[in-house]
Amino acid sequence: MMELNLSRVDYLQSGITSQKNMKLLPMGKKDQSNKSAYPTEDMELLDCDFAKAPNKAKSNKGTQNIAVGDHNGVVQVFGIKKGEPVSVFKTLPSQKIMRLELGGPSGGTKDRIFVSAGSVVKGFSKKGKQFLDFNTNLTEPIQAMFVEGPNLFLCGNYVYNHYADCQDKNYFLSADKINDVITLPVDKSDCITPVLACHDRVLRVLKDSELLYEVEVPGPPQVLCLYGNDGGEEGDEVLYGTTDGKVGLLQLSRTSPAHRWELLNDKRSGGVLSLDNYDITGDGVLDLLVGRDDGLVEVYGYDETDEPVLRYSHQCSESITSIQGGVVATPGYDEVVCCTYAGWILSLTTEPQHKSTGPGQEIQVDAMVYSKIQLLKNEIEELQKQVMTEREKYHITAQSDKAISAVPHFNINDKFLLNREDASYTLSLEVQMAIDNVLLQSDVPIDLLDVEKNSAVVSYSAINPEEGNFLLATYRCQANTTRLELKIRSIEGQYGTLQVYVTPRIEPKTCQLRQYKIKPLSLHQRTHTFDENRPYNILKLTGNFSMAEMHSWVSFCLPELPDRTPPGDSATFHFISTFLDTMLECTYRRGEAIFRSDNISTVSILKDVLTKEATKKQMRLDITYDINDYSVPHTLNLIHPKLEEQLLLAKKVQLIDGLKELQVHENDVNYLSPEYQQILADADKLKAEYKKQPCHLERLYGMITDLYIDKFKFKGQNVKSKVPTLLEVLDNYDLPNLIDFFESSA
Amino acid sequence: MLVPVFTLKLNQKINPRMVTIGHFDGVHPCLTCGTTAGKVFIHNPHSRSQRGGRIEIGADQDITLLNINQSVSAVNAGQLDPNKQNDVLVVGTQTNLLVYDVDNNSDLFYKDTPDGTNAILIGTLGTIENPMVVIGGNCSLQGYDMEGNDTFWTVTGDNVCSLALTDFDDDGYYELIVGSEDFDIRVFREDEIISEMTETETITSLCSMIDSKFGYGLANGTVGVYDRQTRLWRIKSKNHAVTIKAYDLNGDGVPELLTGWSNGKVDARSDRTGEVVFKDTFSQAVAGIVCGDYHMDGTDVLICCSIDGEVRGYKPATGEAKGTLMDTNIEQETVRDLSQRKQNLLLELRNYEENQKAAKLSRPSGMGELDQHQMGIIPANTQLQTSLSVNTGSEKEKPHVELAIATTNDTLIKAVLIFAEGIFDGETHVVHPTVNNLSNSIKIPIFPPKNVPIDLHIKAFVGYKTSSQFHVFELTRQLPRFSMYSLTTDNIPEPKSSVTFTINERINRVVLWINQNFLLQDDYATSGSLEVKFLSLRSTGSLIFRMESSGQVVLKMDDMDTAGDVIQALCLALNIEDLPSTADFPDDMEHLHEILVKVDEFNSARQRLTAEMADHSNLIRSLVVRAEDARLMGDMHNMRSGYMELYNLNRDLINGYKIRCNNHEELLSCLRTVNQMIQKAGRLRAGKYKTKVVNDCRAAIKNNNINTLFKIIKSGMA
Repeated sequence: MMELNLSRVDYLQSGITSQKNMKLLPMGKKDQSNKSAYPTEDMELLDCDFAKAPNKAKSNKGTQNIAVGDHNGVVQVFGIKKGEPVSVFKTLPSQKIMRLELGGPSGGTKDRIFVSAGSVVKGFSKKGKQFLDFNTNLTEPIQAMFVEGPNLFLCGNYVYNHYADCQDKNYFLSADKINDVITLPVDKSDCITPVLACHDRVLRVLKDSELLYEVEVPGPPQVLCLYGNDGGEEGDEVLYGTTDGKVGLLQLSRTSPAHRWELLNDKRSGGVLSLDNYDITGDGVLDLLVGRDDGLVEVYGYDETDEPVLRYSHQCSESITSIQGGVVATPGYDEVVCCTYAGWILSLTTEPQHKSTGPGQEIQVDAMVYSKIQLLKNEIEELQKQVMTEREKYHITAQSDKAISAVPHFNINDKFLLNREDASYTLSLEVQMAIDNVLLQSDVPIDLLDVEKNSAVVSYSAINPEEGNFLLATYRCQANTTRLELKIRSIEGQYGTLQVYVTPRIEPKTCQLRQYKIKPLSLHQRTHTFDENRPYNILKLTGNFSMAEMHSWVSFCLPELPDRTPPGDSATFHFISTFLDTMLECTYRRGEAIFRSDNISTVSILKDVLTKEATKKQMRLDITYDINDYSVPHTLNLIHPKLEEQLLLAKKVQLIDGLKELQVHENDVNYLSPEYQQILADADKLKAEYKKQPCHLERLYGMITDLYIDKFKFKGQNVKSKVPTLLEVLDNYDLPNLIDFFESSA
Repeated sequence: MLVPVFTLKLNQKINPRMVTIGHFDGVHPCLTCGTTAGKVFIHNPHSRSQRGGRIEIGADQDITLLNINQSVSAVNAGQLDPNKQNDVLVVGTQTNLLVYDVDNNSDLFYKDTPDGTNAILIGTLGTIENPMVVIGGNCSLQGYDMEGNDTFWTVTGDNVCSLALTDFDDDGYYELIVGSEDFDIRVFREDEIISEMTETETITSLCSMIDSKFGYGLANGTVGVYDRQTRLWRIKSKNHAVTIKAYDLNGDGVPELLTGWSNGKVDARSDRTGEVVFKDTFSQAVAGIVCGDYHMDGTDVLICCSIDGEVRGYKPATGEAKGTLMDTNIEQETVRDLSQRKQNLLLELRNYEENQKAAKLSRPSGMGELDQHQMGIIPANTQLQTSLSVNTGSEKEKPHVELAIATTNDTLIKAVLIFAEGIFDGETHVVHPTVNNLSNSIKIPIFPPKNVPIDLHIKAFVGYKTSSQFHVFELTRQLPRFSMYSLTTDNIPEPKSSVTFTINERINRVVLWINQNFLLQDDYATSGSLEVKFLSLRSTGSLIFRMESSGQVVLKMDDMDTAGDVIQALCLALNIEDLPSTADFPDDMEHLHEILVKVDEFNSARQRLTAEMADHSNLIRSLVVRAEDARLMGDMHNMRSGYMELYNLNRDLINGYKIRCNNHEELLSCLRTVNQMIQKAGRLRAGKYKTKVVNDCRAAIKNNNINTLFKIIKSGMA
């Protein structure tokens, strides 16, 4: 297979961008290098000799322009000439732009630019003429947008609106946050089928204002993209990317969905922010381009069975908010254009960067870059002077009694997500400026895990739990770090707040506080499939509470719940424990709430927290519970394979060093038992696996101990004194013995 | 971009820091590494070697294994006999030192090293004529020549971790640079310490660079370069620097500092700036970096080894590639870097702009649309005041140095970060009061463990209770060297011990020194003779400093360590090169006496145990023969009893071994105390008197003349 060799080129930097904020305009039909048509905002770039050099002989034909909208409210379109960005138009700053989409007449070229800012949708022609300024009068700002012919599909956090020719057509209220919206192509099927990516791990397929059906996907979907840019042969194939880094293809036929393939996130890369299809490998098949929030850009080709295969990857330092394939700089050279959170527009191009056409030309390229550097240096010098005077002014105001010091908020792009694979949380922080240091403070015991790709130096400070500090850690970042990723392990039942202070490297120095809730059942995840056949323990609460109150309590306990109280008289949510695979069902309505879980500890935690919360509000709750005696052996059976696997792994890893020593001593290890030979052969793999799950065994022991204590707590007995005996039983682990111990000791 | 010129998979584990290269036959370089199971392997791709003696040939024909039969602690190779071309291999274990001639497959000499061997160096030190093997052990440095004669010995403050030879003072002779566990880098001109630098962690590696420069690596992931006493640069990583090496990789004539990291990274950094000029990654931790002419084509190649036996060789860049080793496009990097700077400046400008805008919006009645508290808006004249003072403690709190931080108005301190090295568990200390305890002042107790001046870099987050954004106030305060001593005027009991010495300085200068090095509320002033009393906050008694106008100084204190610190600091401040003194430390001498008695006991116990072990092994031999005989004759009963006996004996042996181990541990700790005592005695003097005390003490111990030892410690001479 041909190796894909792409080199990185940076074009320019705009303001901060959100997801889907950059698009490549389709190739123009006629030569559009008519320079006089360009407004002059960026004309200073043209002042240098090289950019002025006559360029008329070589037309701009065959390259695409880039359209980008940023948080400063600026929409700009630019092309690349001789490696330099040349602006086509640039609007003045206004309200923060959340989305940028291209549209055009049905069947025609999509070269009209639509942007959403607040509740307004604006339309620009490719030359910068504004033809649309549509105030939707929606109460919440538009978060996601899609354009199809005369149809506009706009989504707020929970509301979906469909406009045809700016006339309100359809409306839908989603049960959870909407992350993205697209519609299946109209030209392949004659009706409009919008698809919403909702945060509760489902894609909702609509018909008019009605829900057609829901499809569960393996993680909270964050981005949608039509397969092959046209939805495939049937026009009903949709690619999705999730916040936990998975990508999948779904076929959304008229009546039911079908999963085609799914790319798991084995390497634990970041969440998927952007997707595109483009034939970058030049083999005639569209490749899949993936941009992730940890800065990873990936190119997947497809094998004979149409399964994606990784062909290329490139690590950038910031999240990739948009990605698209096209031809921008030089005709004939395909490139992958990416836009990062901090607004860098960069390209991974197939064009070799060190041209070997001739020595003369190469010098010219260098000279151009050199002049560019000079230009930048001059600009910086100029700015530095300006900054110096401003800084002085600022310091002078410090002498006055009345003056205030107000430093504007800087934007932090942060995420706090549960990883299913190792039941830990990933906290990622991204700032436009370089980060100087980050202080972490937690009022509950949590563990910080090492993240390989993070180069910051961590330092733990001495803590005093009496002062409410269970963790005080500082991360001192290396120069030019704009993104930091941390991994945190929580313990279920221990809840509180993680506070993070981020200090960027910019004067006047400020830091921003971010807070993340560590919920009592922090390791639970929403699911849409519930196994009815397990032995469930039931916790029933009755009292004089409203549904909204109960919803707020439940969302206090469990992650991934919508902030809004769900519509209707009652609500049901299902959860699965990422660590033990036990399930939880919450059903509640006004005056009554029922929780069912096969894990007695889950029920116990819920009972404790809810009682406490109700007491805070001075509300009387009647609590009844029904403990199913079969649930404990059932949970132990669920734990059993994990525990056994971990024990075996630990045993094997322990043996590796000794066996290796034998291998050094003896030339021939054939006398060893096959089991030991296998361990030797798999040594590296075993070690890697062991390293991947630090303290896994201890966590499992902790869960079993909790289970034991909770079981007897419901019987009104305190068995804490017997825990050492339990640990002894665990040391010589045997499932029947353990179950016996749970049954017999009382 | 530099690509390896060769890659080898040796399929042998390589112990970290135990990689060397030797021309054992005088011609061919051989990679030599310590590996598991007490072995050393030699990779010799050039010629086939013989077998026998210590040598056994491994599965791979190019590799020969040497059995050391003890766990190896350090390996080095070098030329020891100035008349011969070939290198010798030096292998250190925790108890022994083996100098081995690989070419002839014979031991040159074998020494007991009760102080252990943590680091080995081969070379010529100062004016000492012949090259020697210098080994660094527990607080001691020992040098042997090619015949195994003990030609060099001195002590140092703590366990030696790393050694290097550099011409530190440009006098044409090599000085010995020693890194030890007490975070100090010491420079020895032969046996005299000519310079000391305090770092922030155990110095795990040292290497000489060009001229008087040398690189160092610490256990906390720091690497850096010193030029004499000035640190040119340092960087810190969360990974550990396993090994460092100087090598000119980019062909500019100046060696770069190469670092092998525990996460498998190898990078080369410019010796002047620390800028990365090259990097590569192994899948496993790096074990060692050496250089040698492995291709036998006249150019030295850089050889990097990982712990799982992967070896890569790199040739230095030549011709056009000079200076451009990085994969990335330099121009693009520069442009990106400049753009980032431009962006930062623009953002700063925007900050000031918004600030002014906010100021205009501000009205006496309120902030208009801005939520003052949430935004973290504070009065522009807010200042942060800090003060350092000595807190003699209360029942609840131990005595400490107190850092008080306060704002000048009603703004609150949300959190304080103190970056300082060597006084906290990590590099930072954080104070984060609960929401209910927020106030505009914070008192932070500090317990400096050592008598060194420390810079405290303080960052305070200032705002209001409900703020989500805070102003960061940054400032630096220096903690004086003897901040853990509080001035007292009370009548305190005079310490039993004292040091007396004479300096030719005016009292005023000494008073000045006291004001600078102790934490005093008001400057101390005196006329005539000087007498100041301090109480140690570390509960090590009091310190009385008396100085007559004649220049005679009496320092009364029971803590020999601190007394040494005071004298060394004073000498440094007043530029005193040589200083004799008389010392009287009755308690310490008593203690030393006890320890010396103990050492004798441990030594005799060791001999007894060794004899016992030899007896047992003879018995085992006969038992095995007897039991096997019985088996062959079909006498199952006797065989069983034979093996039962063997089993018991084996158990006894293991127990005996454990006792021996414990005995050895105790012995080591005693010997370390003795070495430290000598070091402490030395530190009560300066310059040549210091060296003399150390050497005389050593001679006294060698001759087992304990009375002389005490006399030397007391009076400074035999």
